[in-house]
Amino acid sequence: MYRRAFLRLTCTLLAAGFLAGAPSPAQAQSWPDRPVKLILPYAPGGATDLIGRPWAEKLTQAFGQQFVIENRGGAAGMIGTEAAAKATPDGYTLLLTPNNTVSILPLLRKTPYDPMKSFLPVGRVGDIVSGFVIHPAAGPKTFKEMVEYAKKNPGKLSYGSAGLGTATQLRLEMLKLKAGIDILHVPYRGSADALNDLLPNTVQMMNEINVLPHVRAGKLILLNINASRRHPDFPAVPTLTELGYPDSDVPIWFAIFAPAGTPNEIVRKLNAKLVEIAKSDDMKARMLALSVVLPLQTPEEMARHLEEDTKRNAEVIRIANIKLE
Amino acid sequence: MEIGTLLANLALGVSVAVTLQNLGWCLAGAVIGTAIGVLPGVGPVATMALLLPVTYLLPAEGALIMLAGIYYGAQYGGSTTAILVNLPGESSSVVTTLDGHQMARQGRAGPALAIAALGSFFAGCIATLAIVVAAPPLTRLAQQFRPEDYFSLMVLGLVFAIVLASGSVLKAFGMVFLGMLLGLVGTDVNTGNTRFTFGISDLFDGIGFVPLAMGVFGIAEIIANLTSQERRDLSSSKISGLMPTRDDIKRSIAPVLRGTFLGGLLGILPGGGAILASFSAYTLEKKLSATPEKFGTGMIEGVAAPESANNAAAQTSFIPMLTLGIPSNAVMAMMIGGMMIHGIIPGPQVMEQRPGLFWGMIVSMWIGNLMLVVLNLPLIGLWVRLLLVPYRLLAIAILFFCCIGVYSLNNSANEVLIIAVFGLFGYLLMKLGCEPAPLLLGFLLGPMMEVYLRRAMLLSRGDPWVFVQRPLSLAFLLLAALLLLFVVIPNVRKVRERAFRESN
Repeated sequence: MYRRAFLRLTCTLLAAGFLAGAPSPAQAQSWPDRPVKLILPYAPGGATDLIGRPWAEKLTQAFGQQFVIENRGGAAGMIGTEAAAKATPDGYTLLLTPNNTVSILPLLRKTPYDPMKSFLPVGRVGDIVSGFVIHPAAGPKTFKEMVEYAKKNPGKLSYGSAGLGTATQLRLEMLKLKAGIDILHVPYRGSADALNDLLPNTVQMMNEINVLPHVRAGKLILLNINASRRHPDFPAVPTLTELGYPDSDVPIWFAIFAPAGTPNEIVRKLNAKLVEIAKSDDMKARMLALSVVLPLQTPEEMARHLEEDTKRNAEVIRIANIKLE
Repeated sequence: MEIGTLLANLALGVSVAVTLQNLGWCLAGAVIGTAIGVLPGVGPVATMALLLPVTYLLPAEGALIMLAGIYYGAQYGGSTTAILVNLPGESSSVVTTLDGHQMARQGRAGPALAIAALGSFFAGCIATLAIVVAAPPLTRLAQQFRPEDYFSLMVLGLVFAIVLASGSVLKAFGMVFLGMLLGLVGTDVNTGNTRFTFGISDLFDGIGFVPLAMGVFGIAEIIANLTSQERRDLSSSKISGLMPTRDDIKRSIAPVLRGTFLGGLLGILPGGGAILASFSAYTLEKKLSATPEKFGTGMIEGVAAPESANNAAAQTSFIPMLTLGIPSNAVMAMMIGGMMIHGIIPGPQVMEQRPGLFWGMIVSMWIGNLMLVVLNLPLIGLWVRLLLVPYRLLAIAILFFCCIGVYSLNNSANEVLIIAVFGLFGYLLMKLGCEPAPLLLGFLLGPMMEVYLRRAMLLSRGDPWVFVQRPLSLAFLLLAALLLLFVVIPNVRKVRERAFRESN
């Protein structure tokens, strides 16, 4: 008797599970009526985590449902991104990722997902504002001096990146192409590791947000900004365009994606809230503390942005002949 | 630093740390830390990763005080399992198993635990003081390190691992190199090639340290315990007094002092500070001892020195993290994550911009250490009683925590499979009489060595002479060569002795 009741209960639960897995228009309307999982393809404590947590908190407040962060690190972000691509497209699993996994990695490796086909863009949630920094003992004190120095001493300056095939490497390759200079590229395992060697002047240059506190403390010199606008905390430092190097930025940006097949209604609803949150002063201030500014974009604009970004990165990778494997 | 500013800094720290809330967080961290340290297979890294999101709700000071408490609490707890069940709760307690567990087998678990706790407390106090006084100059020293210096330091570390092995030097050599090979699995930093991954994306970042360590130490031990006939040979009934004898204390004083000093120094160096510290302290004691052959049979010095060393190193590894924002190990990376969650970007400016946080955390470490002794000395009885839990229940609990701990690191089921595989592998090694400790060290240091070697070569534009031109690097290499000579000589002597005996 008990066993039969148990079986019946199990069947009901299983059926409920299947139903929950299949999106229907009615469900899209009531979305979200249970917690939403936000996959971050990197470990806790890194830049993605730092940007993702305030967003999860704000989205939880805005929708009255928990947005739960799941850190799925590994393989340069491929594992978490793949998990999101293969999730049920019901709006209850989303991906928050830097552009590395969608507009750089697929150009260098065979990824188990296609950034254009496996996902629907929901909204861009942050752009990094940073630039090239140099150790004071290296000699050059301005961007112009650095370029001149590198021209006179090819390969003498070395630059620490967060790893092969990351946006930080592409930034160096782009600079080398545009300025016609030679700087030694030294790949590290992440930006913290590179900073370790930048501070004692083992490598002379980097381009990351984790170096900015040291710029504030006067230990490093910020030469330029790799973004369309100057950094509010360093108003005297010019952008690359202002220095005479237009289209040389290699932007680093973060975005929320939904698995392909997620109802359009849910994507719209989510995008509207993202834009609303991005406009709040509190969110702006919290992101600025991380040297991140908030863009306001519709899903269509973001899709275009992804396409342009991929095209630009593919060009740098081709010319600089960057290869993995 | 002037005495005046030092006292002013400490006063500020006390005013932050001795609020009711922060004392509470400190206690919570210390208790959680001890508990997870005691539970084999659940390390501070996994716990801190789990609790990181929770600390979001706390004020920054409370969050960091609690996270720090978990770390040094785990150092206390880790030795407890190492001594009682021969399972290092933490990689830095590996050497404690050698003599600590032997003591437990002889029914002297109580004194071993007490000495470990008292030694750790002493080391914790001294190391906290050291952070206060020496943080600025020591940071400058660690900052001098270039890739070639790191490389040579790692060479020295691996030679230590071979020297340390109690069994055959040849087997230790083999294990170090096997560990290095396992460490090479994953994506090559300099070329982006994936090595030994067979196209499995879970292996792109290499084999995780935690699953490997849990497998070869934890699971293998459980298998061995369950298969052997006298599987509860822990002689739990024979435990006599809990307190160490006067002789125990007398024998421990010098090793504790040496361990504290060595550990404190090695903790500052990035890269497995606490692990290297406990290994080095043990080796040092063995070398200094009048009866080195007795190590591994339950020498109290073999517990006192590495336990003080790992605790001292655990504390001093905060120095590069607090002053430079550079993590010297995985736990410090978690601390940095905890700081950044609260919008504090670790670096040289923390001491200036958030002096309350900086000094408060340091004072809380001393308070936390005091709490740990007050808590743990009376609780040793409880830990000893843990032995009376039937092994068939304990084994399941350990397995359960191992699996949860590993799964929670990356929410990856494949890593749970990895511990299963390495569990069987570890059991095989045990049967072959190969020690897993050198394997683990090779696994940790091997890939780091490779990275530093290639980075040094890249930066020197291909000139290998940098390794002997840098005085620091040269000193480490010479020391390593000297140590190797020391291992070889007694070994030669041993072989001769055996040959002599046979010919008689």
